[in-house]
This record gives sequence, structure tokens and C-alpha cells, in this order.
Amino acid sequence: MARRTSLPVTFVVPTIAILLVLSMVPTLYAIVIALQNRELSTPDYSWVWLSNFADLFLDRRFLNAVWVSVKWEIVTVVATMVVAIGLGVLMFEVAGPRLRNLHCLLFIIPVLLPRVSAAFVWKFAYHPLYGIATYPYRLVTGGLIFDPLSKPGTALFAVASVDVWQWGLFFAVIVLKLLETLPPQPIEAARLDHAKRWQIHAYVTLPMLKAPLISLMFVKMIESLRSFDLIYVMTRGGPGVATETLDMYAFSQGFIESGKVSYASAMAVLMMIATVITFTMLWKRVQA
Amino acid sequence: MRPGRLIGKAILAVAGFLAVFPLLWTALNALKNNVDIITRVPRLVFTPTWANIIYILGRDSVLTGLYNSVVACGSAVLIGVVLGLPAAYAVARYPNRWAGDIQFFVLSLRFLPPVAVAIPLMVIWLQVGLYDTLPALIITYSLLTISVIMWLAIPAFQSVPKEIEEAAFVDGYGAYSVFWRIALPVAARSLAGAVAFSFVLVWNEFLIALMLSSSNAKTLPIVASELSQQGMNVPWGILNASVVLLSLPPLLFLGVLSGFLNSVFRQKKT
Repeated sequence: MARRTSLPVTFVVPTIAILLVLSMVPTLYAIVIALQNRELSTPDYSWVWLSNFADLFLDRRFLNAVWVSVKWEIVTVVATMVVAIGLGVLMFEVAGPRLRNLHCLLFIIPVLLPRVSAAFVWKFAYHPLYGIATYPYRLVTGGLIFDPLSKPGTALFAVASVDVWQWGLFFAVIVLKLLETLPPQPIEAARLDHAKRWQIHAYVTLPMLKAPLISLMFVKMIESLRSFDLIYVMTRGGPGVATETLDMYAFSQGFIESGKVSYASAMAVLMMIATVITFTMLWKRVQA
Repeated sequence: MRPGRLIGKAILAVAGFLAVFPLLWTALNALKNNVDIITRVPRLVFTPTWANIIYILGRDSVLTGLYNSVVACGSAVLIGVVLGLPAAYAVARYPNRWAGDIQFFVLSLRFLPPVAVAIPLMVIWLQVGLYDTLPALIITYSLLTISVIMWLAIPAFQSVPKEIEEAAFVDGYGAYSVFWRIALPVAARSLAGAVAFSFVLVWNEFLIALMLSSSNAKTLPIVASELSQQGMNVPWGILNASVVLLSLPPLLFLGVLSGFLNSVFRQKKT
């Protein structure tokens, strides 16, 4: 459709201009703030250039937050993909059309919930005395107390389980739909060669879906960066700093504990640089 | 039935149960008196009460939060539709050498950590005197809605058969009326899914709203999270009721969004 019309210009230019302003102004300003020493309590500030960044690398709590964020990213992405592929293949194998439709509907529900709601639902469920999720443990052990959210060893996994509850089930639906789009001939051929069910999936269907599955993982990696709501409601970074991710630490530095906006912004800028570089590189590889 | 199939079905049943039960349990707790919630053995049989729900709906903070959420999300989605859909159509139908870059730019906005956007915006809004107001929140959310609607609407417009639009051109329609009278109506169902998705996204948004509001512009997720910060002394039934209230609007879109998902994958097949 190579028609001469003003439409592309009038439709695209204003929108992209607005997006550029809305995104570049805060991004550049974040860098400006990070080079100053602003605090919430006072309007005065001066330029300190890179000293916020230098301080960060000596801050053990910051280094801990980096490590917690990396752990969070790995745990949630891997668990989500395992749950999604497991349940997706299972639905493909054993469920008829009606059961599939029902499960597709049920599995989308958790991801639609506000993160705050999901966090509350599970915070109640994990309550050591009255929670529904800890009830089986109390029943089996005759009333022993298990408090997953207040143990440093389990807190991160307890919060991550909520993330996987939301995304793993949702992605299972997508994996099923992807399997349904595959042509049936290769599966039939493998079956004629007496391949076992799991072999068909491990060697035929999943390799055929490699590209969309990698894209799916890419989406999950981006969404996993948004862990703040869950952690804020469920543990506030605790116990101690066991679940303190970078955004949680930046928030508490900037707003709860000391109001060091510039310090928090320096952290945010580092996060931004790291994610933009990582995801741009990954995206180019996925596309290639 | 082979045992493997039976086990598989059992696992699926458990997963389906796990998907909805925690939410149903929360809804049930919203109808309980505190004595029926704080029990070591969970109670299924109890005398229901409307007190929690009535209390929640009577609180000024909750009603203000609800109003703020509706206005902020509604306006941001409207802006997203007005600016995002035409841009998506142009990228889909009049691709030029920047089309790929535009798509990547729109996607890359999703890489930005929300903290990195929220901190400078807070300082900016403070300086221009718009901190803790709905306009500030609406403008900030527009960044989210425009980019998400664009990202999802580009493939939706691409899937409209070109022949229909060509036929309209032959009939003497201009480029703009082809967009209005042909592309928009034909793609309407997928576009509705994209719009619904952007609404759910901003309705559920928490971190930016938390940082950009202190009292007047608090949205419902913030109000709900504050109820819990009063410690465990707050009657649990009330908390559960507020969670249910917060969760209902996104669930209203369940049908639209699952239809959207189906249509996305049906297109891939053909």
C-alpha cells in the first residue's frame, strides 16, 4: 500500500514524541539526581558527581540486594518455565477439549489479580497459626509452627511461590496453545517409531517450539524485575535483609529510612543501565 | 484408563484447585467474623456476616481510593487508546525503515525499572506542584498504557486482511476513513483485549502510585496495603474484604482477555 498520504506522520509522530518526552525526561533526570546529594528533608543540594556510585560499591547492604535480586530472577524464571511447560504438556496429553477450556480459564485468574491482592491472599495463607497453607503442616505434626515468611532460608522462596502461582499457571495456558498450533504429522511419525510420550515432547514438540518458548522466558525475565509489590506487602525485605531486592532497598533508602533520594536514584540508575543493556542484547539475539 | 493418564488428571485437578482456592478462601474469610478466622483449624461452616464488606464500603479512604483508581486508570487508558491505536495502525500498515526501531523502543519502555522512573518523577512533580495529584498519576500511567496498547495493537492491525482495506481504497475511501471505518471495526475484538490488558496493568500498578501520592491521590492498591500496615490487630475479615474489592475489576475482564489469548494463537495457526 504505497499511497501518498499524511496518515503515517500524523498518527506516529505525536505519539512517539509524547512517549519520548515521558520516558526520557525521568530517565535523564534520574541520572542528574544521582549525581547530586538531594535529601527529602531539605531543598538544598550540591553536585557530588560519582560519589554516590562509589559509596554503593562499599555498601554491603547494596551488594546483598544485588545478590537477592539475581537469586529472585533465577528462581522465579526457572520455576515459572518448569511449571508452565510441565502443566502445558500435561494438559496437552491428558485433557480433552472441555477440560482444557476450563483449565485455561482457571489458570488465567491468578495473573489478573493485582500483585497486592495476590500478596495478601498468600500472606494470610502462610500465617503460622491461622493460615490455610500451613494448616496441613500443623495437622500432620500435631500443631507445630511453621512460619515460612519469617525464616531467612525460606522467605524468598515463599514470596517467589506467589510469583510462580501467578505467572507459571498463566504461561501453562500459553504453552498449551503453542502445542495446539503444531502440525500433527511429526508427532504421529514419532509415535509410529514407538517413541514414549515424554520422548515425543523432549525431542520433537518442545524443540519445535524453541523460539516462542525463549520469547516467553524473555517476557518473564522482564516481569520478574517487578517484584516490589509482592515483597513490600509480604516481607518488607525481611527477615533482616533476606528478601531485600534492589527496588526494595532503593525504596527504603529513599523513603522509609533516610530520605536519601540521590542515593536511591544512583541505585535505580545502575539497575536501569544493567537491565537495558542485558535485555537489549537478549532481544537482539532472540530476534536474530 | 491407563494409570499414567489418571495421575496426570489428578495433578491437573490439584493445579486447578490451587489456582482458585486461595482466592475463594479469601472471599470466604471476607464473610466471616473474626472468631471464625482466627482458628487453628480452618472453618468451612460459619455464620456469614456482611459487616466487613459494609465497613469497607463505608470508609472514606476506601471510597477515595476507588474513585482515584477509576479516574486515574480510566483516563490513562483513554489517552492510551487515542494516542496508541492510530500509531500502532500506522506502524502496522505503513512500515518504513524506522518501524523496527519504533517497535523496539516501545518494548524497551518495559525494561525501565519502575523505581528508576518513579524517583525522578516524584522530584519533578514536587517541583511543579503536581505531586500527590491525579493529573500527575494520569500522565505517568499514560506512558504505560500508550506503550502497551501500541505493542499489542500492531499485530492486531497486521492480522486484518489487506484485501479488505485495498477494496475500500478502490471504492474511493481515503487513508483516514479506511482506518476509521474498516481497520478499527475489523480488529475491534483483538483491540478490546489489548485495551483491557492495559487497564488491568495500571489498575494493578503499585510502586509508582505509592511514590507519587501521599494523601489525596492514593489509589486502591495503596489504601488496601495500608490497611494491613496497622498490624494484625486489624480485623482480618476487613482486610480480606478489601482484597476482594481490589481484585474484582481485573477479574471482570477474564472473558475478554481469554478470548484475546485465543484469537492471538488462532492467527498464528493460519
